[in-house]
Amino acid sequence: MGAKIKKMWADAPLKKSYEAVIIGGGVHGLAAAYFLARDHGLTDVAVIERRYIGFGGSGRNTTIVRANQRSKQNVPLYDEGLKLWPVLIKELDYNLMFFNSGNLNLAHSEGGLNGMRLAVSTAQFMNVGSQLLTPKECKELVPLLDISDRPTWPVQGGMYHPPGGTLRHDAVVWGLAKGAYARGVHIHQGLEAKAIKLEDGKVAGVETDRGFISTPRVLNAAGGYSPQVSAMVGIKLPIHVITLQAMVSEPLKPFLNTLFSSGEYHVYANQSLRGEIVTGAHMDPWPTYTTDSSAYFIKHQAEALVQLMPALKGTKFMRLWAGLTDMTPDMAPILDGNDHVPGYYMDCGWGYFGFKSGPISGRYMAKFMVDGEPPDMLKPFTLRRYENNRFLGEIATPVYYGPWN
Amino acid sequence: MSFTITCPICGKRNIYEFRFGGEDRGPRPFKNEANPEEWYDYIHARSNPAGVQPEMWFHRDGCGVWFAIERDTTTNQEVEKEGGDS
Repeated sequence: MGAKIKKMWADAPLKKSYEAVIIGGGVHGLAAAYFLARDHGLTDVAVIERRYIGFGGSGRNTTIVRANQRSKQNVPLYDEGLKLWPVLIKELDYNLMFFNSGNLNLAHSEGGLNGMRLAVSTAQFMNVGSQLLTPKECKELVPLLDISDRPTWPVQGGMYHPPGGTLRHDAVVWGLAKGAYARGVHIHQGLEAKAIKLEDGKVAGVETDRGFISTPRVLNAAGGYSPQVSAMVGIKLPIHVITLQAMVSEPLKPFLNTLFSSGEYHVYANQSLRGEIVTGAHMDPWPTYTTDSSAYFIKHQAEALVQLMPALKGTKFMRLWAGLTDMTPDMAPILDGNDHVPGYYMDCGWGYFGFKSGPISGRYMAKFMVDGEPPDMLKPFTLRRYENNRFLGEIATPVYYGPWN
Repeated sequence: MSFTITCPICGKRNIYEFRFGGEDRGPRPFKNEANPEEWYDYIHARSNPAGVQPEMWFHRDGCGVWFAIERDTTTNQEVEKEGGDS
């Protein structure tokens, strides 16, 4: 006791100019800053965050990481991201509390199972662990699951993805901030970007509420607010901002080792290391910047959970919250830059997949910002794919075949 | 965050009776001859204001009418129409 608390990062003086300015102090922005410094020696970087780091989606997601997406462009990126976590834990010397719970998606119809067959085939082709399970095998993984014909939509099978799991999201933000700060990155909290100044059509700097910062490179990593940052340089994004709601129950004895989800019931749940049931998925489909929860969500979530797991009847919920998601039409991100406006980079449109992909997209975006040319991995994620009608096929996941849509 | 939307026929009703129909950007600005950028701008690009947005709604679980209102996306409150005409 009495040991002096060592700060992991501290306030830095706001300089008049930086080599790169990153708007948004979440997982993506901090990861990009960290990898700019680590891989490219670019330490003259500022991360500017209007609130405090991890205030937005980085601190509001439900911490699930997985790589069982559908399209051949997405899976390699997420798979590499999944393999990066253990490396980061060592490198940052920070316990991100990775729990390899595996990920079980349930199907309740032939359409749902067919969607899973597509996803499993893609995953196996890409050498990502994923397999189809019968209802009985699902019950072996999740013993309290009701696989009888009692629920409105009985379980018909499942897709099991063993490499998936959960982390502690705050620790990811803090660990990356610690790593970036140790390499000389300036983290400015409570600093709002007001405008991006262009000269001869190129990025010249960022106007903030504490003065002008001149810089040749700006990264938009503002999550739910990315359309507004993008509007500062006159680029309209194909994003609509809606909220995702989640909640946790009272702590219970350990009974659920595997994260399970159901697209058709529109619910996912896992038991945190503290024993709470973390559950969510409800999205009200109209754009909003409020982070209010709704009674409709609580009722829906309780119904869906009790249908799938009757033993949870009577469990009390403790906390609920909501976060902003920047949804694109094809459920795939926009990783682009140096194209419409030289010097302006975008790492946005992650919707509700932003957390699992944070460090890996930060690493590729850092390379992109140094080279000025997109790495091969990011080429499919260009903004121009929408006008060229080259959507990524992510929307064909089982989640989108359900009675609710 | 439950709130109400005013249907021109049924009056103020619970939000969950309605389907959101997108930002109201008026009539299509071109006929069929448009280049990919114009199509992109019309179909996908959104302004996402944090503030008052004109938008379309559909009274799905009600009278089935499509209509336009203005709503503040930071408070989810409808903007009252002056005089009640339009």
